Amino acid sequence: MSQSTLKNVKYVGMTTCVPKRILSNIDDCPPHMQSERERLVRNIGISHRRICSEWQCFSDLAFVATEKLLEEIGWQKEDVEALIVVTQSPDYLIPATAIILQDRLKLTKTTIAFDVNLGCSGYPFALYILGCMISAGTIKKGLVLVGDKCATVIDPLFSDAGTATALEYDPSAPPMYFDLNSDGSGYQAIMLPVGGHRQPTAVHHLVPHKDENGNWRTEAGLILDGPAVLSFSTQQIPPAVNSLLEYSGYDKDKIDYFLFHQANRMINETIRKKLGLTPEKVPMTLHDFGNTSGASIPVTMTARIREALESGHNTLLLSGFGIGLSWGSCVIEIEGAKFPELIEA
Amino acid sequence: MDTIETFIEKFTEAVDFQEPVELTADTELLTLPEWDSLAALGVIVMCDMEYSKTITGNDLVKCVVLNDIYKLTS
Repeated sequence: MSQSTLKNVKYVGMTTCVPKRILSNIDDCPPHMQSERERLVRNIGISHRRICSEWQCFSDLAFVATEKLLEEIGWQKEDVEALIVVTQSPDYLIPATAIILQDRLKLTKTTIAFDVNLGCSGYPFALYILGCMISAGTIKKGLVLVGDKCATVIDPLFSDAGTATALEYDPSAPPMYFDLNSDGSGYQAIMLPVGGHRQPTAVHHLVPHKDENGNWRTEAGLILDGPAVLSFSTQQIPPAVNSLLEYSGYDKDKIDYFLFHQANRMINETIRKKLGLTPEKVPMTLHDFGNTSGASIPVTMTARIREALESGHNTLLLSGFGIGLSWGSCVIEIEGAKFPELIEA
Repeated sequence: MDTIETFIEKFTEAVDFQEPVELTADTELLTLPEWDSLAALGVIVMCDMEYSKTITGNDLVKCVVLNDIYKLTS
């Protein structure tokens, strides 16, 4: 089951919260690296990123986003029947962050709360998981919080953000169409190899050493096979998008905006060109917000097309892809939903 | 198939050299200061978009001189 349709699910609103702290990929690096960084910024398209304060977790951003969203859409705390958190940066390895947030947000104890371990592909999956629960009619209102704390000062790619999205049961809502996929054979392309049960952290994992590119790293750091991720993204996403368009019956011209996970400029531009889309139809936030993992689609919705989304009817195609390997796309229609301004916390 | 001269033009743009370089079919890739992971991404995109060829990071690791990449595009 790769493709499916959900009925009776209304997209009610979404809020994005990013850290106040801004990093410049060019200015916030050692002087001898600036020329190399300028070349990097030209190619990956990421000039500035947001990074949490030391004390801040993803859940702190998501908490602020959720409080604002509930206020804007006028839901009471007791209305929320499900709280799903999609993140790879939980507060603790256990217990689930969603359950901690149920209490912190003062939601009722009858709330279904759990975490889902997905990264860059997470947003379409998040809509699908909560959407399935609502579509059946057993849950009327639910929230899904998506995002990560993944920025570091050294790595020029990743940036932090937390988002909250509200869905509710509505028999008159237009159908949502999904195309969701997984390929675990590529799990080593993006991974934290140390710190789980397969390879628990040992002292020697924390000793810095220089890698083949002269960068200091530890064995406990993130592994990212750039060429493998680029090939996966540019080979898999265009046909998946075309397949979903065919399944949903939407002509490409009927889609108001295509919102892709903000990976890097090379990947995103290759996907856009392969699909024959104009830049106007493909909003981007890489320059100012970097790669915010699963939050990058909602970050782009808030930062680039918030006013258009609030002002009328829009049909969107959302497509997330990355760690897993995992990729998911959906077509949703939005009308009358709330999109508060970007929050900085 | 492009001539080697046209290929070198596209390769130069894909790698995004910071200083002008003289390239020939026999240029050893490891002598190029910008022959790094970013350059690899640019060349993979170039092969895909300009030549409809899917190449991997491992394919590039096996290339010693520029002509080896040129042969991958044919």
